[in-house]
Amino acid sequence: MELLTSILDHINYIGAAALFVIGLYTVLTHSNLLKRIIGINIMETSIFLFFVSIGYVSQGQSPIIQLSETTAIYVNPVPSALILTGIVVAVSITAYALSLIIKLYKAYDTLDYFEIMEKSQEVSSND
Amino acid sequence: MIRMLPVFNLLVLLATAVLIPVFSKRVFTKIKQISTVAMIFATVSSVISLAYVVQIEGYSIVFGGYTSAIGIELTIDAFSALFAVFISALAFLIIVYSFADITHEIDEDQYGSYYTLVFILLFAMMGMTYTNDLFNMYVFMEILSLTSCAIISIKRKKANYLAALRYLVLNTIGSLSVLMGIALIYMVSGHLNMGQISLIIRDIWQLYPGNIVVALGFILTGLSIKAAVFPLHVWLPDAHSNAPTPSSALLSSIVVKVYVIATIKLLFKVVGADIVTSLQIPPVITIVAALGMIMGSIFAIGQKDIKRMLAYSSVAQIGYIFLGIGLMSEQGLSAALFHVISHGFMKSALFLSAGAIIYYKNRRNIKLFDGLGYQMPVTMIIFSFAALGMVGIPGFSGFMSKFYLLVAILEAGVPFYLGVILVSSYLNAVYYLPIIISAFLKEDKEGVRTMKVEKLPKSMLVPLIIIGVVIVSIGFYPQLIMQFIELAVATLIN
Repeated sequence: MELLTSILDHINYIGAAALFVIGLYTVLTHSNLLKRIIGINIMETSIFLFFVSIGYVSQGQSPIIQLSETTAIYVNPVPSALILTGIVVAVSITAYALSLIIKLYKAYDTLDYFEIMEKSQEVSSND
Repeated sequence: MIRMLPVFNLLVLLATAVLIPVFSKRVFTKIKQISTVAMIFATVSSVISLAYVVQIEGYSIVFGGYTSAIGIELTIDAFSALFAVFISALAFLIIVYSFADITHEIDEDQYGSYYTLVFILLFAMMGMTYTNDLFNMYVFMEILSLTSCAIISIKRKKANYLAALRYLVLNTIGSLSVLMGIALIYMVSGHLNMGQISLIIRDIWQLYPGNIVVALGFILTGLSIKAAVFPLHVWLPDAHSNAPTPSSALLSSIVVKVYVIATIKLLFKVVGADIVTSLQIPPVITIVAALGMIMGSIFAIGQKDIKRMLAYSSVAQIGYIFLGIGLMSEQGLSAALFHVISHGFMKSALFLSAGAIIYYKNRRNIKLFDGLGYQMPVTMIIFSFAALGMVGIPGFSGFMSKFYLLVAILEAGVPFYLGVILVSSYLNAVYYLPIIISAFLKEDKEGVRTMKVEKLPKSMLVPLIIIGVVIVSIGFYPQLIMQFIELAVATLIN
């Protein structure tokens, strides 16, 4: 029972760690370039989740100051604001990576990383 | 006014990046003028702000009228001002060199976008040196990694797309682990400002040692991917050898160093040397660095392509820098900082002279360098200066950095690393000296033995000669730079 409650209390950390590992596994093991980018996106999501959840205060309200309530508890808004920046960065990285993948697909006619490596080595040995 | 110069510095670099595409409509001379003016401003203002900071203690600029705990803060002290001078001066030389060389590397319609990317890159590097805020550092780091991938993929070749994608994927994993580490530090300290964190972490590190070790592990792993520390260097040879030569020089001599600067800031400014030492982190850094020093050199021996060889040699040299950092002492840190600067100049001299050889003779294979010393004497002499410096011959800047490192190692009482440095120096000699010997002592196939100065464009020769002079003068008068480094180290270890 104690274990169960401690798992429930830290479910955000466990979830973030699990997503991080799933994403990293996808990036490192899949040979399809698109899946690698998806893996990076999963990793990004895990960190965003983690960052936002550490700013949560239990029973806190959204941090909009109302003059009538003076004793209200607010959620920490800083992590959420930071993660907005993080999301923008993540989107631009994904866009750039996808554009590179399009170029690679046009050049090699495949999305498979190992096939691309083989073909590129053939090209360089012919030079 | 003089206090705000670093901010103007950042603004001018960013504004130049925006202005170039507006003005440039295929007029290359316009781009040249704008970028020269911007770089002169950046260099001069960094020098002025260094001269100013040396007199006073150092100060910080907070934006938006917030207190430093919640606002974004730039710290201008001897450390950041010194490296701003290093970045802007070296980048100035490389950019002047690139005006001629880039015409051989990329298509005409891309000049505008190339210089835009270079200036955003410089902006991000300057920002990372000045910033005193962890999240701000992360944002600059992302700008830096995107632009540095983009200046590799700007060359329209298959190999460049592949190298850029590999670099991008690994770089992103690196940035994400840095962000994870920042989240963990924020979790225990509640601050993102480096000064505030270091105050709080002093009180709480014994309460949450596991948390801080994991955070440091994430951040150090991320930064070592980006700085190409040995087992994580896999992206570097492809990326640096395929990029246009001026970009390779920028990436290898400055961009990688900025991540080293970030690591130093994290270890010494955010967490503090004593806490890092008591968490048992330094031995890991030194062992990994020593491995890199040996393995990087061994990989470099097998290379035929000159630029690939130089890229692997960077892996080994990064090992020297991290070894200095891992000693966690004043001497070790100053040796590391000295090597950051001296390796920056040596590696850019090597890359730029290799670029000049590719430009003039279109030779990349080191087997074809026979007799090149007679056809391109100036380039090859500069190349030899830098290569001898890398090996550690007295009189060149590389010798002094190895000397400082040796003193630091003896001081720290770990003589094992002395042997590592010796072996690594021998290995350096094994791959650099044959090039010099075959260039100056062997005959070309055409049998030309009359020395004739090569007809390179002046904008390529002058930066090369200046860098060569700098390498020799630092070699003879290391105090020129060491006096500033001592001040910089004093701001990090107190």
